[in-house]
Amino acid sequence: MVSETETVNENEERKLKFGLFLGCNITFNRPDVEQAMRKIFPALGVELDDLAGQSCCPTWGTMPSIDDVGWCAVAARNLCLGEEKGIDLMTACNTCYASLNEARHKMLKNPEIMNSVNEILAKIGRKYEGKAKCRHVTWVLYKDIGLEKLRESIKYTLDGLTIAVQPGCHFLWPSEVYPDREKDPFNPVVLRELCEALGAEAPYYTKLIDCCGIGALRSTDPGKSFALAKDKLECIKEELDADLIVAGCCSCMIQFDDVQDKLRKEGKINFSIPVLHYVQLLAICMGFDPQQVAGICVTPRDEIIKRILEGGKR
Amino acid sequence: MELAEEGVPPVINLTELAEKEKEEFEEKVSELIIEFGAENLMACMQCGACASICPLARTGFEWYNKKLIKAILVGMREELLDDMTPWACVACNRCTEICPRNVTPFEVMLAMRRLMVEDFALPTLTIEGLRSLYEHGHAVYMTGREARKKVGLPEKPPTTDSDEKALQELKTILKNTKLAELGLIPME
Ligand code: SF4
Ligand code: SF4
Repeated sequence: MVSETETVNENEERKLKFGLFLGCNITFNRPDVEQAMRKIFPALGVELDDLAGQSCCPTWGTMPSIDDVGWCAVAARNLCLGEEKGIDLMTACNTCYASLNEARHKMLKNPEIMNSVNEILAKIGRKYEGKAKCRHVTWVLYKDIGLEKLRESIKYTLDGLTIAVQPGCHFLWPSEVYPDREKDPFNPVVLRELCEALGAEAPYYTKLIDCCGIGALRSTDPGKSFALAKDKLECIKEELDADLIVAGCCSCMIQFDDVQDKLRKEGKINFSIPVLHYVQLLAICMGFDPQQVAGICVTPRDEIIKRILEGGKR
Repeated sequence: MELAEEGVPPVINLTELAEKEKEEFEEKVSELIIEFGAENLMACMQCGACASICPLARTGFEWYNKKLIKAILVGMREELLDDMTPWACVACNRCTEICPRNVTPFEVMLAMRRLMVEDFALPTLTIEGLRSLYEHGHAVYMTGREARKKVGLPEKPPTTDSDEKALQELKTILKNTKLAELGLIPME
């Protein structure tokens, strides 16, 4: 029986290689996050495979809301694209991370589901064995590449900057289904340490693990979603007076980027804190073109990027 | 257990069920929620741990995890029929992590959605997402490609969007799931 944390591929001995799982939001809304990954990983010695023909993970409002087998079948097809090449998938989106790994967990736990899924997959000539899983970019950078190598790879440091980190819900819970786990999933430190490795301060703050409010909550009741995000933003402002918000999840990043603009226009907040995905921040520090790796936003990033590039040269 | 496999649509219609005797409704609803994935429903002791950290409870939704479980266990018909709270659940699984009885409250929210789907009680956005998943392989899909061009990426991503064979594979999969049985979206 394959377990959640077991490593499938022979990555350990070979050159690191992952299937770049894009999902929907990164592909169409924030392709600068895709571009950031395409720049940083090869530069860090990690080979990327396109996983040609990949689809939506599937996200919560689709197949998971219908039944387990359909959910797992769509997820399994995506996982197969890696498994057939002997590699794991890697994502910068927490929803993809959770949907794929929860589906895998269900299939490993319940042979009935696994069998039903493979009956469906047989119709397209595929079979999922439960080996390939989906890794999170945050964990790959932290564990497989390591803080030391990140420190060596950057051209610009973040000395003097204070970052509010946003790991995001689906990076943490349910910890049981994930290949990598924080020691205490209610007090995550990995993203903080990754930011500190670039020279910034990334302190704890009271609402660090709060939900950003995007997804189903936002589509069902935007007002409640914005209120939740506002609470967290105010906490970030008051407790940390952060220069930057850094998310490990593309959806959280979109939410805080987007909502600040809406709240400002409604006169509900009077500040503006730029928001980046960690892979974008790292890409900027490594010297890649900010237009390509962080060029799409609603809340302006120009000033912070300028400050990094002018102030932080090593 | 799996409906997709048997190919027989189950006799589940919350509206019809609500017309039955209260006891029958009560019993049947719990049964269905368990069948639809919330295996440990009955273990709930209403301690409220899940509610204490649920974003839905915090933002003022009426039927968040603990309360929804109670409503199911005591068979509160109107509440179960009309409320859209399950569709607001962000799937964060804080509740799963913290529940001392291994109830996986998130699975209860999800099972409730699955039950509502039988009644076609689902948000328009959800139907659109399903349709988009079937037609493009992406629940979130955009025809405009300015963003991709702007950051120097090919307009077509290496997904089902640029791969007809892959899209057909996905369609074949979807046609063999419960989604097809329910007939929620056109699947030619
Ligand atoms: S935490 Fe578990 S046992 Fe407690 S109310 Fe929630 S579901 Fe029930
Ligand atoms: S998974 Fe849903 S029910 Fe559970 S805590 Fe998150 S939002 Fe609440």
